[in-house]
Amino acid sequence: MRYIVGYIANERGRDAVALGSTLAANAGGDLDLTMILPEPHLPAARVPAEPGYDELLAEQAEEWLKQGLALVPEKVPAEASIRYAESFAEGLIQEAEAERAGLIVIGAGRHGLLGRYSVGSVASALLHSSPVPVALAPRGYQAHPGLSRVTCAVGTRAGADNLFETAVDAAARQRIPLRLISLVAVGTKGAAGEAAIEQAKAHARTVLEEAAARLPSEHEVTVEVAHGESIEQAVEELGWHEDELLVIGSSRLAQHNRLFLGSTANKILRSLPVPMVVVPRNYSPSGGDGTAGKNG
Amino acid sequence: MSDTTHVSEGHELSRKGLSENSIGLIGAVAIGLSCIAPAYTLTGALGPTVREVGVQLPAIFIVGFIPMLLVALGYRELNNAMPDSGTTFTWATKAFGPYIGWMGGWGLVAATVIVLSNLAGVAVDFFYLMLAQLLNNPALADLTNNKPLNVVTCLVFMTIAAWISYRGMQTTKKVQYVLVGFQLVVLAWFIIAAILHISNGTAFDHTPVSLAWFNPFAVGSFTAFAAGISLSIFIFWGWDVTLTMNEETKGSKTTPGRAATLTVIIILAVYLLVAVAAISFAGVGETGVGLGNEETQDNVFAALAGPVMGPFALLMSFAVLSSSAASLQSTFVGPARTLLAMGHYKALPTRYASISPRFRSPGFATVMAGVAAWAFYAIMRFVSDSVLSDTITALGMMVCFYYGITALACVWYFRGEAFSGARNFVLKFLAPLLGGIMLVVTFITTSVDSIDPAFGSGSEIGGIGLVFLIGVGVIGLGVALMLLQRVRHPEFFHGVTLRRGTPVLNLDE
Repeated sequence: MRYIVGYIANERGRDAVALGSTLAANAGGDLDLTMILPEPHLPAARVPAEPGYDELLAEQAEEWLKQGLALVPEKVPAEASIRYAESFAEGLIQEAEAERAGLIVIGAGRHGLLGRYSVGSVASALLHSSPVPVALAPRGYQAHPGLSRVTCAVGTRAGADNLFETAVDAAARQRIPLRLISLVAVGTKGAAGEAAIEQAKAHARTVLEEAAARLPSEHEVTVEVAHGESIEQAVEELGWHEDELLVIGSSRLAQHNRLFLGSTANKILRSLPVPMVVVPRNYSPSGGDGTAGKNG
Repeated sequence: MSDTTHVSEGHELSRKGLSENSIGLIGAVAIGLSCIAPAYTLTGALGPTVREVGVQLPAIFIVGFIPMLLVALGYRELNNAMPDSGTTFTWATKAFGPYIGWMGGWGLVAATVIVLSNLAGVAVDFFYLMLAQLLNNPALADLTNNKPLNVVTCLVFMTIAAWISYRGMQTTKKVQYVLVGFQLVVLAWFIIAAILHISNGTAFDHTPVSLAWFNPFAVGSFTAFAAGISLSIFIFWGWDVTLTMNEETKGSKTTPGRAATLTVIIILAVYLLVAVAAISFAGVGETGVGLGNEETQDNVFAALAGPVMGPFALLMSFAVLSSSAASLQSTFVGPARTLLAMGHYKALPTRYASISPRFRSPGFATVMAGVAAWAFYAIMRFVSDSVLSDTITALGMMVCFYYGITALACVWYFRGEAFSGARNFVLKFLAPLLGGIMLVVTFITTSVDSIDPAFGSGSEIGGIGLVFLIGVGVIGLGVALMLLQRVRHPEFFHGVTLRRGTPVLNLDE
């Protein structure tokens, strides 16, 4: 499978390369480091804009991409592309469609004071419109030789669609342990909170059974229900491996085959220490081709 | 541009998604008009031009187009001969070597920095005027005369525009088309309203239209004539962009030529009609809204739109404010890219060549252009009595300077083929030579005349005209910076990075 890495020559870009390398090493995929440049066109101004600028910009981008490729481990096949588009998100989606890629990887960490992730304008634009799953690398992510576990957020009620199937299939194919989690924010309301936890536990047991039925008998699959005053607290209550991955579904509000980060997913993102993959609603991993054709 | 280059062994790098960014005739004309921003240009240029040539305003507008046309023809030849290879800086370096090339690039950057400060200044005036009109509180319009507040407001505008440009965002074509259409409608409204006042006998100072207005020889002196030409160059500045849009226009090769012709016909019609309507309505007297009044010459529409258009003057405020704000933002791109190219060829410290990784834009160069433009404006606001008109006059000089260099660079670059055929003789030799000489003569005459403290708006420091100090100061500063760079990093000046007659962009390969 091909992974599009949205490359920018800064920490976010390096985080993305590290995550892309980890995922590709794990699943045997190859990377396409893509740099998005603004379309060259003359601005309507009195002073002619140096036309040589576009060539200088492309040369700089090639230089940056060389640096980016140098970050990819030897054994992971990687190439680089320059794509011209109106926006970063739009360019990455075009690249993913043109290359029939299965995943777009970007660095989403805020390099500042607040939190590990912040859905910046770029990530947010991508999460609202990508037809393929989007992987978000947290700040300062380091590449790993592979993944030690895949965690799938299954929600508290039925309706997580084929996200669950995607995660189970991925875990089965790559022979890595699967953990199913259900996050509950109890807030301050005691009795209602208890009921919510009970409901989540019941749902978790159901999905665990389903998962166990789909996986080979020796495959490790666990389930956890975490609760806290807020979703953020619930996330922090769970233990995380450095080299694990959270898979989460896009909001129910999302258009068919398009990503949209729901409010719960957004909250998870804020306190999550590991990378996260957001899977579009109704996305099927084998059907990446189907979505590519539609917008081709 | 579907070429593929190899980054390193085993890695293949392709460039994808380059769209054929084509625009049709109407689009090209709209962009041409958008470059010129007629509502902004007229409000800034009408007053100073009337001050120089009085009622011969229409004549000087027509004559002023001639050198612009001649230079633009040569400009187009250079652009065809060296596509993708820059503008004044690279062309003049390749024709005349590093020193004149450096000064040509400096002239372009300086002119743009000055126009940025003027655009922001006009935007500030109309911002407060529009607030006053919207809230029906005339006192708000006077806030623009509060110098510290004015300078701070300008800083805010400048920062926003530079920030948008730094983030690599561009005004979309659709927004440009709407703004241009709106400007034309409002200017037409102004013309019709002025004519109605004149025919109803309610004009401020009705001055009957006379053929003499169109006679350039009726201008009093050569000093006034040269100053008028310099200002006219400013009002057509940007028109040449339509001529060089070859790559972007769709259809035949004739589209850019047609677009340029149509643009200039529209722009001349608008300028002449507005000029005639304004003089006819308000006269050139020195009181009230008369165009000769030094108090209002700085910003004519701010004073004249109310009496002519009544309550709908609000539309004029909005037209000028929107066109100057859009221009302010798009104009940042030009100097930033020229500074970046100069940094790349080591004609400036290399940090000017840095591209922001996050936004893929000329970061440092954009910030420096913004800082320079604001500092220029802030200084001018305090030393000049009539900041907008003084900057416009100095601007005309700067444009003459770098256009003159560009035109002569064309003549020199093509000297080998100048006499091979009538077409080459006219377009590569005669037209740019005549245009270049006219501009250089205008530049020198205006420079010498502006030493007189009474020149222009009469702003002076120590008995020397302010416009002269700006013009000479800016060029002198350029020479000093050039020599400093020559001492620190002589590569460019030794022809290591970019030399005469060699293809550009072959650095470090």
